[in-house]
Amino acid sequence: MKILVCVKHVMDSESKIRINDSGTWVEHLSSTRFEMNPFDAYAIEEALRIKERFSESCIHVITVGRDDAQETLRRALGMGADEGIHIVDNRTGYRPPSLAASWIASWAKNKGYGLILTGIMSSDEMNAQTGPMIAEMLSIPFCSAVISEKISDDKKMVSVERETEGGARDMFDIELPSVLTIQTGINLPRYPALSKVLRAKKKELEIIDSSVFDKNATGVALQRIRCPEKKRKGIFLDGTRQEKVDQLIDILKKKALLQ
Amino acid sequence: MIKKIAIIAEHDQGKVNPIIYELLAMAKKIQGMEECHITLFVIGDKIDRLSRRLSHDTGHDVRAVSVPGLLAYNGSLYKKILSTQFSQSHFDYICAPHSTSGMDYAPALSVGICASCVTGVEDVFVEDGKICFARSMFGGKLSAIFGKGEAPLVLTMQPGSFKPFFPDTAKPGAVTPMVYEGNENQMIFTGAKASPCKGSELDKAEVIVSGGRGIGEEENYKYIEMMAGLFPRSAPGASRPICDYGWVKYSRQVGMTGAVASPKLYIACGISGASQHLGGIMGSRFIVAINTDPDAPVFLVADVCIVEDAVEFIRLFVENVKKGRASGWDGV
Repeated sequence: MKILVCVKHVMDSESKIRINDSGTWVEHLSSTRFEMNPFDAYAIEEALRIKERFSESCIHVITVGRDDAQETLRRALGMGADEGIHIVDNRTGYRPPSLAASWIASWAKNKGYGLILTGIMSSDEMNAQTGPMIAEMLSIPFCSAVISEKISDDKKMVSVERETEGGARDMFDIELPSVLTIQTGINLPRYPALSKVLRAKKKELEIIDSSVFDKNATGVALQRIRCPEKKRKGIFLDGTRQEKVDQLIDILKKKALLQ
Repeated sequence: MIKKIAIIAEHDQGKVNPIIYELLAMAKKIQGMEECHITLFVIGDKIDRLSRRLSHDTGHDVRAVSVPGLLAYNGSLYKKILSTQFSQSHFDYICAPHSTSGMDYAPALSVGICASCVTGVEDVFVEDGKICFARSMFGGKLSAIFGKGEAPLVLTMQPGSFKPFFPDTAKPGAVTPMVYEGNENQMIFTGAKASPCKGSELDKAEVIVSGGRGIGEEENYKYIEMMAGLFPRSAPGASRPICDYGWVKYSRQVGMTGAVASPKLYIACGISGASQHLGGIMGSRFIVAINTDPDAPVFLVADVCIVEDAVEFIRLFVENVKKGRASGWDGV
């Protein structure tokens, strides 16, 4: 089975966030680090586990992003994926998920993928849109928040459990090909193996310039970004750690929450 | 021209999900910006009574799409039914909750009807003459503002973002029943499993102390339990990542995919505060957050914010409370 995993190169979640001068996007500082979207690591791991079951499978990873997004592709190859495809888009601002989805869908069309996987969302923009949009653009079924999957022996169907409110699960049988977005906790993503990392470094990637695709995004446009508003009038405690402990004990005692 | 707002009403076992009243609050806010007519949509089996009740309780028109034999949410079916509905009649805003089902069908629906899509909407306002929607990004550290264009907009609303609005219902709306007769064989519902949090001690706890990635390692979870142990009727909780790491059982998880908690006191230790977690704690009466990162989004919802290493702080806190109690709180 041919499996396509969609991955994204994102800002490390521990990196300091700064809004650019025009207020339109985040500024990348020299200290800003990037990583594979942590949610996508679960999708790659799941693809690798499917390949362990169906050894003739091959795993392609695809990303849309700037030149440095190749690092994420190489990490995926280091984990065990077979081929990497990079749709190069060197914009520094916001790229709507509908655009990335349409490029990936155009690329994947008629390539014979039996399964397309991606993380439930990206840790940076948190839209959770790309996966379901790709499915709709390819006119194939999809399921989000998948926490368990099993492909039938004839590879025509996948049985999934998707997570719902409170961690309950709904179970479905879904026709293949289909798109699944993978929920965290479905597996424990492996670290890249050293032998594979060395090979991944030399591996030739398929590079596609995004200019070959349609650039029209739909109606909604990002106006600006800002710091979020405080929802409660919280106070920050000052002083040494001991002083903060004293203050907290005092507050909780006054509110009769601590005796 | 009068604009049109569609609201998808979720329901379970014959009861409407009360999030409909938060969606109505958002719709009312849009109505304050441009003249809009609201229609509610219900999809399901045996929904006659529920639809009539909804039209009475809200005063809005209801389109009830009956699907014989539909036992549970089915993404493929919802997308097909809603795409048909909204291709046949134009709506400017199609609003769903940012629930596990809303976030499932909304993006695909927007593609199907050539609409745009904004997920996890937390606010709506007018800016530079444009109707704008705000949503979180970067783990809640930033808020992004999107302006609506000409195309219809499919949006999902982040639960807890709008104060529920209960309309004055002098006159019930009209119910339009329909029956969906198509077959769904691409995606077949085969059963459900109950939540591991059901009946857990988190539901009844008056005080919850939760740990997140910031506690550093599995072994440090004992400090969370130790702190929780200082309070009567308390329970230790956890953020999703440390459950995913296998440090703690999923039955301890607080958040959208865990327990939705509304204790008297919630103490978040080493939790940055992704919207999925915050969505599960907003009902708490008093929130204390301890985190090393002063920009952590959890501080946006906390009543008391403490910038400290959670484990170090808890150790000192526990020690001081024990000492204080032993001495009858002399000198503390």
